[in-house]
Amino acid sequence: MSHASLGATPNPGSAAPAIALRGLTKRFGTTLAVDAIDLDIPSGSFYGMVGPNGAGKTTTLSMATGLLTPDAGTALIHGVDLWAAPDAAKRMMGVLPDGLYSFDRLTGAELISYAGLLRGLDRDTVVERRDDLLAALDLEAAGRTLVTDYSAGMTKKVALACALVHAPRVLVLDEPFEAVDPVSAGAIRRILTSFVESGGTVVMSSHVMALVERLCDRVAVVGAGRILAEGTLDDVRDGRELEERFVELVGDVTDQRDLAWLRQS
Amino acid sequence: MVAAVLAIKFRTQRHVLERERWRIMIVVGGAVWAVVLLPWAVFGANALASQPNNVREDALVAIALIAAIGWVVVPVLITGLDDTLDPGRFAPFGVGARRIMAGLTVAAFITIPVMFFAAIFLILTLAWRDGGAVIVLVAALGVLLTLASFVFGARVAAMWSSRVLSSRRGRGAAVVVVVVGLALIVPLAFALFSDGLESVLETDVVVFLDQLAVTPIGAGMSAPNVAMQGDWWGAAWRLGELALWLLVLWGAWRANVTYSLVHPRFRGAGTRRRDDTMVAAAKVPRLERPVRSSVLSRLAPGRSGAATAVRVRLLRYWFSDPRYLANMLGVFVFPVVFVALVMPITGLDTRWAFLAPVLLAASIGWGRHNDVAYDSSALWLDVVSGRIGADVLRGRMSAIVTWALPATIAACVAVVLWTGLWSVAPALLGACVGVLGLTLGVSAVSSVVFPYRAPAPGENPLGAEVGSVGAGLVAQLVSSAATVVLLPIVILPLVLALAVDPRWAWLACIAGLVIGPATYIWGVRIAGRLYDSHSGKLLGAVT
Repeated sequence: MSHASLGATPNPGSAAPAIALRGLTKRFGTTLAVDAIDLDIPSGSFYGMVGPNGAGKTTTLSMATGLLTPDAGTALIHGVDLWAAPDAAKRMMGVLPDGLYSFDRLTGAELISYAGLLRGLDRDTVVERRDDLLAALDLEAAGRTLVTDYSAGMTKKVALACALVHAPRVLVLDEPFEAVDPVSAGAIRRILTSFVESGGTVVMSSHVMALVERLCDRVAVVGAGRILAEGTLDDVRDGRELEERFVELVGDVTDQRDLAWLRQS
Repeated sequence: MVAAVLAIKFRTQRHVLERERWRIMIVVGGAVWAVVLLPWAVFGANALASQPNNVREDALVAIALIAAIGWVVVPVLITGLDDTLDPGRFAPFGVGARRIMAGLTVAAFITIPVMFFAAIFLILTLAWRDGGAVIVLVAALGVLLTLASFVFGARVAAMWSSRVLSSRRGRGAAVVVVVVGLALIVPLAFALFSDGLESVLETDVVVFLDQLAVTPIGAGMSAPNVAMQGDWWGAAWRLGELALWLLVLWGAWRANVTYSLVHPRFRGAGTRRRDDTMVAAAKVPRLERPVRSSVLSRLAPGRSGAATAVRVRLLRYWFSDPRYLANMLGVFVFPVVFVALVMPITGLDTRWAFLAPVLLAASIGWGRHNDVAYDSSALWLDVVSGRIGADVLRGRMSAIVTWALPATIAACVAVVLWTGLWSVAPALLGACVGVLGLTLGVSAVSSVVFPYRAPAPGENPLGAEVGSVGAGLVAQLVSSAATVVLLPIVILPLVLALAVDPRWAWLACIAGLVIGPATYIWGVRIAGRLYDSHSGKLLGAVT
């Protein structure tokens, strides 16, 4: 994005948080999935979002990326209201959702090109970035295969490539490492880390605490549609392991029953 | 194991009804309708009882034939098979076909359609009451065995059809068979009906039904007639043949269950493609594109890179995804049935053939009223990529036009060649283009405003969720109503040209060629704007 077009977007100042959620709320029937969440994700941070299953992480991220209309509240991307000015806001974001299909009758290369063309990139840029991404994510051999023939981890990688192709300022990734093999996970870690070092922002949800501790500098713990704790990794950990703190915040399994019949001797 | 399987079926159905209570209304409505039909069955049985024996037999065999076609066609093409007890779902539990078949068999019989048909068929056996209790008993045995063969036949047909459509070679073969079948049906129908409907009814149909009476379809229905003539061996042979047929069908079903327990649904297309067609299609860089004049660009909006990309994607889906292929082939059914069956049987003037291309255009356009939902949850990529509703809709709809317009024009040419009414040709062309544009415009808007769940990628293209009939009721009603209100504008001049004066043809031509593209562009534009404003709700609506 050139400076001229930067000036056209309403105040995308670096002082504004990369993502600012204000009173974001979503109700499904009688269930309050997200309960008036306020959250600031500072620009340039590697932000981890953790929480038990059904805590509202995916719903929150969907509302922050334009996939789900909130019942109330706003989501600002670098100061731009996503739901009021989606064009400018979505341009700054790369999104990797979890558990959704891809257009899997395209080849991996075609899917990346498709994402680039949707973003308005010209042909030469698309070709260059597509080839870079296929190489960086170790998908070169599979680039000519239909995504429908991919394994779960390969599908995840090609979807990540789609999120990166337009060089966004903010990456919102739902479970980016799920089902990805250790070699590819290393490649993805390197890409994301250098992205953050260069000034980009990554928001990542994960269930793997060790991964969050290793990568993220800030963490939010989400439970029952609210933010239970938020801050720098050390603040949230409070001198303990993140996993320990997580269990303390969301509560452990109350009935730790011993499955005696499962014992082999 | 039977009890366990049945418990799964009933509990699932209860949960579905509890979650979506409006479905209870459909069940109640269907039950009321069924009960209302029962007195008519009594009436029919009484009417048959006063007829000669061979007329009774022919009528009952004809009823069995129509019911048999319905039992095969309805689940395959329209409602989809209830997949609560899809055998593939038992695979993770490590049970073999042997253990679940009994349960599946019993469950297949405890359904509303089976109860309904059993009641109707049993009432119809009263037609044989003058033969005495033993004859009625033979008749009852015959109808129950016939019904059982329908139940098994429906399972086998549905499982085989989805198995065929899941492989590339199978899909290709299915397309060839359908095309050849369609090409044969029209001349055959005309040869058959060349002597007029009455001679067909008096000779051909009777001969056909007599032949059918010895096949498994009619054997159960004709057994009481044979018995009444004192030919008890003949009756026993027919019932025995039917019982044997049942065993064969059951065996085929069981073989299919065994197969699906160890063959999880594979979505792979098994092809390798060399080139990136996305990039190939985006040849003209945006800046170098020639500037169009404003009038021209309003009529034929220039394709942006995004719209072209969407179009290329949709074309890939149209020609490789079974869900789209099934839809593409389905649109030809209505017009072909009209030309091949309705016209010769009712003895309509050949000018009525002009309706066939119009029907084709309308089927194509109206058939896409849920177009967006076919993306399923993959549409997230379009949504997060910005405010590009206009491009998405332009790409989607132009992909349909790419095959629909040539198909419609080919149908027009065929009809004009056949009827020789060249003076009306411009009217037909105009009306067809008008209908296609209008219906596609309506569908573009409807598919964004009222999307409902379509079969997901890799699911049975002909399938449906438990009781999903009616899920898209609002969408279907609204898009049909809009279509019915708007279509006369382009069809009326064609009718005038055919019925009153060929000079109307040029008005029809101009009206269609202007109104069709105009409503298409207008619909696509509105739909594009609505896509942007509804983008946060689409994902929830289609999954």
